[in-house]
Amino acid sequence: MTSTPGETHQPPSSVHDLGREPEPPSSASAPGAETAPGPGEARRLTREELERVKARDPEALAALFEVHFDRIYGLIHRLLGERSLAEDVTQEVFYKVQRAAHRIDPARDPGAWLVSIAYNACRDVWRSSAHRMGRRSGSIDADPVLSSRLEARDGNPADQFEAEERRRLVVEAISRLPDPLRSAIVLHDYAGLSHQEIAAMTGTEHAAARKRYSRALVQLGASLKESLR
Amino acid sequence: MTHELETLSDDERLAREAIRDLPVPVATPAYRAALKRAFVSGHLTAPPRAASRPGWFAWPRGWPGWAALAGSAALLLIVIQGANRGPRWQVTSIAGQGVAIVDGLPVPMNHLDEMRKRVGAGARLRVPPGCQVELMSPGHMIVEVMGGTDATVPGVPGRWFWRTVEGEVNAGELRITTGSAFHGARLAIATPSAQIEVTGTTLAVICEPEGTCVCVFDGVVRVGPKAGAMESVEHGKRRYVFNDGRDPESASIRDAELEPLGELEDRRGEMMEGREAK
Repeated sequence: MTSTPGETHQPPSSVHDLGREPEPPSSASAPGAETAPGPGEARRLTREELERVKARDPEALAALFEVHFDRIYGLIHRLLGERSLAEDVTQEVFYKVQRAAHRIDPARDPGAWLVSIAYNACRDVWRSSAHRMGRRSGSIDADPVLSSRLEARDGNPADQFEAEERRRLVVEAISRLPDPLRSAIVLHDYAGLSHQEIAAMTGTEHAAARKRYSRALVQLGASLKESLR
Repeated sequence: MTHELETLSDDERLAREAIRDLPVPVATPAYRAALKRAFVSGHLTAPPRAASRPGWFAWPRGWPGWAALAGSAALLLIVIQGANRGPRWQVTSIAGQGVAIVDGLPVPMNHLDEMRKRVGAGARLRVPPGCQVELMSPGHMIVEVMGGTDATVPGVPGRWFWRTVEGEVNAGELRITTGSAFHGARLAIATPSAQIEVTGTTLAVICEPEGTCVCVFDGVVRVGPKAGAMESVEHGKRRYVFNDGRDPESASIRDAELEPLGELEDRRGEMMEGREAK
């Protein structure tokens, strides 16, 4: 990646505060700042639609859900590596969005705010004793939709098998990374966030976020070196 | 940037390309539809799973004596946890011929010792069609895992705390009855379409291609679609939660479940409470 979208974006300052939900996007906290859409985010809601989200208009809430659900679910799934846990955490994210909808600033796209809530919710999971004791590595097999999609793909079965095996190894290698390193890779390479945005979200310095990403890439590269060649 | 493409090593470039080639995880249509409906209607509730809640304590940054305190706390925790732990799952009977899959490993049904060694709280168990595995945690629960079932064995509630346990049924049927030691505990069961909350009862959870059927033989069970509102299902009733997001339906308990659930409840008295079967 030679340039990263949204490098100038300043997420809300309270994002990294421990135990607090991030504030909805506010034009006062970062005038004119925008976040570039990540993978799977096809469009943005218009200002008028966001006004209606604020008023909890069902049609606008449905539009908000359609625009952001796939990206948020995908991000959480990648961070946690487990389907049922990802479903619960995604539910928690949209529950928080529902509660805070009236505080949304229609002047700003809520995408970065949703990603912040999702990341904080995943971090809460990592901190919970239940997760630490029962941590299991994720696999494509744990995702029935993904599995069936892979199985249904046309083409040479040997190639398909090899591709599936390759993906499984990558997912396993990512799940074995320590939580901070996994976050760095997933937020940057999967969610398309800049190091600046990640730094604000995780409560670290910009340089530290870059360094962490660098370490994650080195560690993942070493882990995959033998298995993917 | 530190990682401009030209400065990456071959290994790092390989890692980055591998990540970007990964397919996007996709939610199941039933879950997506249920969550959307609840979100749009304003009736979305917080998920019940304890793992999604924040830990009750976080280490302060840079605190110098953390290692000693952590060691003491861990030791204390191990002692308390050991004392609190409820009786482990026992495989009490196995019926049928075939090969079960436990945590991804094949275990022949007639290898009772191997089955006893591998099946425990949190184990993922797939029972071949036509077979049956019965598990018991003395005083707490008896669970019958029917043929064709793919399920995660729930934990056993602690004696004094950590009394909420979770299990999963991805396909097939579980029959469950709870004993006197289960009093005050809570079992949460998740299926692809439904969430079920058990606080002491005899019931069957049947996970079918169309949805999940919960048949309640005794007591009361709370049942609802994923991300949707839970409703109480009383003894003698069943509730069906559809995969495609249709409203759940209630009716009388399935006739086919009456006899096996009745027998299971009778066996509970015999196996867990030392009473004779009726």
